[in-house]
Amino acid sequence: MRDFAYLRADSVEAARNAAALPGAMLLAGGTTLVDLAKCGVAEPATVIDISHIEGLSAINVTSDRAVIGALAKMSHVADNAEVKSLFPAVSEALWQAASAQLRNMATIGGNLMQRTRCPYFRDPQNFPACNKRAPGSGCSAIGGVTRGHAVLGTSEACIATYPGDLAVALVAFDAEVDLGERKLRVEDFFLAPGATAEQEHDIRPGEVITAIEIPGSAAARRSTYIKVRDRQSYEFAAASAAIGLELEGDGRTIRDIRVALGGVATKPWRARAVEDALKGKALDENTVRKASELAMEGAVDHGANHYKIALGPRVVARAILKLGETA
Amino acid sequence: MTVHDMKHAASDSARLEAVGGRLSRVDGPAKITGAAHYAVEQQLEGLTHAVLVGATIAAGKVTAIDTRAAETAPGVLAVLTPDTITELKGASDWFGNPPGVQTYCPLVREVTFSGQHVAAVVAETFEQAVAAAALVKVWYDETPAIVDLSDGKAGDGIPIDAMTKEWGDAQAAFAEAPARICTAYNTPREFQAAMEPHGLIARWQGDELTIWEPSQWLDGMARTYAEWFSVPFENVRLVSPYIGGGFGSKALALAHSAVAAAAAKMLDRPVKLVLNRPQNFTSYGGRAATRQTVAIGADREGRIQSIVHRGVNETAVDGMWVEPLGSVTSIMYATPNFSSKQNVVRVNTVVPGAKRAPGENPSAFGIESAIDELAYELGLDPLEMRLINYAEQDPHAKKPWSTRQLREAFAAGADAFGWAKRSPQPRSMRDGHQLIGWGVAAGTYPVRRAHGEAVVKILADGSVEVESSSIDMGQGTYTILAQTAAETLGVPVEQVSVKLGDSHFARAGVTGGSRLAGVMTGAVYKAAGQALDELIGLALSDPRSPFQKLQANTLQVRDGRIASPRGEGPELSIAELMSALGRDHIEAKGDTLPANTTPEERYKNYTTIAMSIPHTEGDWSRHSWCAHFVEVRVDEDFGTVRVSRVVSALDSGRLYNPKLAESQWKGGIIMGIGQALLEEGIVDRRHGRIVNGNFADYMLPTNADIPDIQTISVGIPDPHSSALGGKGVGELAIVGIAPAIANAVFHATGKRVRDLPITLEKLI
Amino acid sequence: MNDQVTISPTTLSVHLTLNGRDHSLDIEPRVTLLDALRDRLHLTGTKKGCDQGQCGACTVHVDGERVLACLTLAAQVEGRSITTIEGLADEDGTLNVVQAAFLEQDAFQCGYCTPGQIMSAVACIREGHAGSDEEIREYMAGNLCRCGAYPHIVAAVRQAAQELRS
Repeated sequence: MRDFAYLRADSVEAARNAAALPGAMLLAGGTTLVDLAKCGVAEPATVIDISHIEGLSAINVTSDRAVIGALAKMSHVADNAEVKSLFPAVSEALWQAASAQLRNMATIGGNLMQRTRCPYFRDPQNFPACNKRAPGSGCSAIGGVTRGHAVLGTSEACIATYPGDLAVALVAFDAEVDLGERKLRVEDFFLAPGATAEQEHDIRPGEVITAIEIPGSAAARRSTYIKVRDRQSYEFAAASAAIGLELEGDGRTIRDIRVALGGVATKPWRARAVEDALKGKALDENTVRKASELAMEGAVDHGANHYKIALGPRVVARAILKLGETA
Repeated sequence: MTVHDMKHAASDSARLEAVGGRLSRVDGPAKITGAAHYAVEQQLEGLTHAVLVGATIAAGKVTAIDTRAAETAPGVLAVLTPDTITELKGASDWFGNPPGVQTYCPLVREVTFSGQHVAAVVAETFEQAVAAAALVKVWYDETPAIVDLSDGKAGDGIPIDAMTKEWGDAQAAFAEAPARICTAYNTPREFQAAMEPHGLIARWQGDELTIWEPSQWLDGMARTYAEWFSVPFENVRLVSPYIGGGFGSKALALAHSAVAAAAAKMLDRPVKLVLNRPQNFTSYGGRAATRQTVAIGADREGRIQSIVHRGVNETAVDGMWVEPLGSVTSIMYATPNFSSKQNVVRVNTVVPGAKRAPGENPSAFGIESAIDELAYELGLDPLEMRLINYAEQDPHAKKPWSTRQLREAFAAGADAFGWAKRSPQPRSMRDGHQLIGWGVAAGTYPVRRAHGEAVVKILADGSVEVESSSIDMGQGTYTILAQTAAETLGVPVEQVSVKLGDSHFARAGVTGGSRLAGVMTGAVYKAAGQALDELIGLALSDPRSPFQKLQANTLQVRDGRIASPRGEGPELSIAELMSALGRDHIEAKGDTLPANTTPEERYKNYTTIAMSIPHTEGDWSRHSWCAHFVEVRVDEDFGTVRVSRVVSALDSGRLYNPKLAESQWKGGIIMGIGQALLEEGIVDRRHGRIVNGNFADYMLPTNADIPDIQTISVGIPDPHSSALGGKGVGELAIVGIAPAIANAVFHATGKRVRDLPITLEKLI
Repeated sequence: MNDQVTISPTTLSVHLTLNGRDHSLDIEPRVTLLDALRDRLHLTGTKKGCDQGQCGACTVHVDGERVLACLTLAAQVEGRSITTIEGLADEDGTLNVVQAAFLEQDAFQCGYCTPGQIMSAVACIREGHAGSDEEIREYMAGNLCRCGAYPHIVAAVRQAAQELRS
């Protein structure tokens, strides 16, 4: 790790000022920044420690909305009783992410800034070509080991998978990220690589995430997050799905449904085609399975990740059917 | 050094203390309080830190190294390259064969694998060394690499004639057999992945070298250092008080070891060098990738007529590793006709090495999968199939087994598992979305034997010290040697302290091949017996002894008190007797070598493996045995496999401490679960480089992946295998787990996966 | 820069409470809590297994919560209270119930992941995540053990949790 200057910000205002410095990077939980600095991916000139700022870790939940401070720890949000009852998919996404220790460190704001686990991205010494790290240098992953790479939202510049869980639940429920001067839908906050793989988030120098807001809804109340991976725990998703479901009074017709996928795309992936195909339909296994296939519209594989095209819809269908059973 | 007092163990009842008792680990209190200092945790004055720079190509030449930026970086003391590192002499191999080269340079100009050490930076602090290492620039002239066994350039490899085992006419008998299967099985490159990384601290004082390094073989590694630096063997002291897991990887002094020791000599300061986690995947070899074909011909009743086996393992371009793939194939089942041959193929990798049960492990994956396939082919229960072909003697050596409780293992395991309730058809058991499968497989590991040495001291206060340069990497050496000395001397175990992990102690050979417990309990038994004889002899004959007037033939020590067997005369504590005798200690060095062994032979015995005793020496064939019964649950949509139940019945002969033996068995089973479902070194074929060399991407099982595991001991004391009747424990249980899981997955899904690991994309 | 920001020189002074005692450390900003503990404070009970947040061997408690020392900058723990394995037993050497349960259940072999396992287990019980074997397995999944002591770790956590409840 190269040496850097260390600034401890005691207020959001101070953090914003410092964040505008060239080469400045914000440090909250440290689980991304310290890790990437060790890999040689992040080379901050100045690290701005925002973890001591007070008043940014509150969790306020009503049936209307959840407002979660950017410095709230993942573990605290996961265990929050109101989050569990009003936004179960958010809690489930969180406790299935990382390990208990990492969840005690990582913050909600920092989690949105989590970087991809693409092994080529993480190893600059051995793989200099990476459009995310060095725009225009090429993509080492294409043609390489692609088992974990994305099948949706990819480009010729980058096929790196967005690795997180929380944001998948957030995009399903139209959550917003609060940047102080402006608020953005989480779905828009994440950028697919296109020709500019280095731009992963719509965030400008000097901006600091202060909170996320999740609108309450019947679908959010009846929601779940299913994560499929090689090992039972402590692993990134091979495919995951955040689903919210609201049924009509008849108990079988779908009034509202939210579908988002993780582990298969370059950003947290909302699957509106699946939602549209199911709204107004009766919830039965065949209908659900068929509609879930639409999640993979436009999917492109790179060999070893082909299985994700089959797996993704199965995870979606399982989650929808599970919610249907818990009427 | 490392002395363990017994405060916490002392609460256990007396029966626990004897050999065979369930005494808690005597090194436990140090390990659970953070007081156990591992090798690289020694605090030394003036310690410097070294960090390695690895090659970013898999084959080619280093054309230039620019060290200027690194040299001027803060805190940097030296940047070592092939041109600047001090020249070492070549060292002999682990058989003691003289080196093929005169000189040895642990930093290379000719790169034969990705990650090979090219340069090293030494600085005042770890952070400075890491930062400066990133500033070293290396240029290469890259040449095409042979990536792996399936590389078009790899070829068929080199036949290893010593691996050929043949009897009868296997090809003809196979061709004529009414029931036949012929299938191919692959295992990937796997890694030992001990939680403690490899590393060392090297310190020179004049021409004396002290190395603190996690080691499975102090004497062997000391020999290598002595040869590299042309100093007498006695001048090298290796210290390895605790080892944070080895699994075969920590028995040799490696290139990074040489770099650190050379740097310490050049700087005349102690140097600490610890491989970072990714370097632990490229700096020493894991288990070689293997390919096998197994052809079995049988009659309609399932009796095997012939086995034809061919195997291949990868080795390095500049090093030889043979993973003996026919080792289980040739002994597990009775067959009148047999043929096994093996090649090795050179690829651009670090030379593969020993990982828990090298040879037996992949060998069992082949034969124990194939026998299962044949059972389904014939419509036989896989357990019945195994019993039909039970080998009543060693089919290869044609000698009787010393002990083979495998039939008992099958019976006990099947009973505890409930095998009789199994529904024979694949895909016939389910629970919701989960397909349930039950599988069985057997395992075996040979009893590897060697000679050992120990010192036992009886001190003035009646306490006992045991010294040996053998080691404890979690198997329980500290504990079982304390138990052996306590039982032999008749003293409470809390009076015994065991000192291990210092090459200046009584010598020991390699800790590998599950041999240490048998060897060292034998040596301690002998040394303690000698010490006891001396104590009793003095007590009977020394004029100062209260027993001298007794005119007894012998005396007895029980619970630390000495008296005549019939109870007449005085009864003294050992401390009181020592005081009466005016002795401050009685010391005995015992070894298991023949009395006429020369000093040269002793040196060879402890510093090479050339004097290991074959497991089929003499009249017997000696092996440990086991039978695994496994339940898996496979998600029918996702293809994910979870092991939900394991029952294993194992024959390791007599257990010196069942509590610790069970832990080792379960550890082997768990590593086998990882092998079956998760572990694979994945190579980028364009670069010849492992891309998942870390603990997030090379996945070990987590706690959440492991169910309750039931182990059942079916062993009986085996007098032909060791002095106290034990056979091997540590490696046995991993053998056969992967095929048991693969067999269970077939039973669950109807899909036969012959390439490990069994990942979800192979099942959806 | 306004006065709400503390600017570090090349080394900075960090004050923390470590195992109940006040300490101050002069370190570079890039030094992790793990390296500060092991190399500067000579508390080597906290282990370095991966140095990448992937194994849990470096688990310590910061303000009572389990975290990874390898991904925590020492500078970040200014004013915080740190507990390591060395601070878990009582001053008189009486073992924490979790430590005692690990010994009794033989919940370790080589011992290298053990301090992290124990620190994690203490927190797991305190968090209320030791309610069933399944929950223990999940909430202890962040601590890898290559020796394969997992079933015994579950038994030790279960035993300690029961003792603490009663």
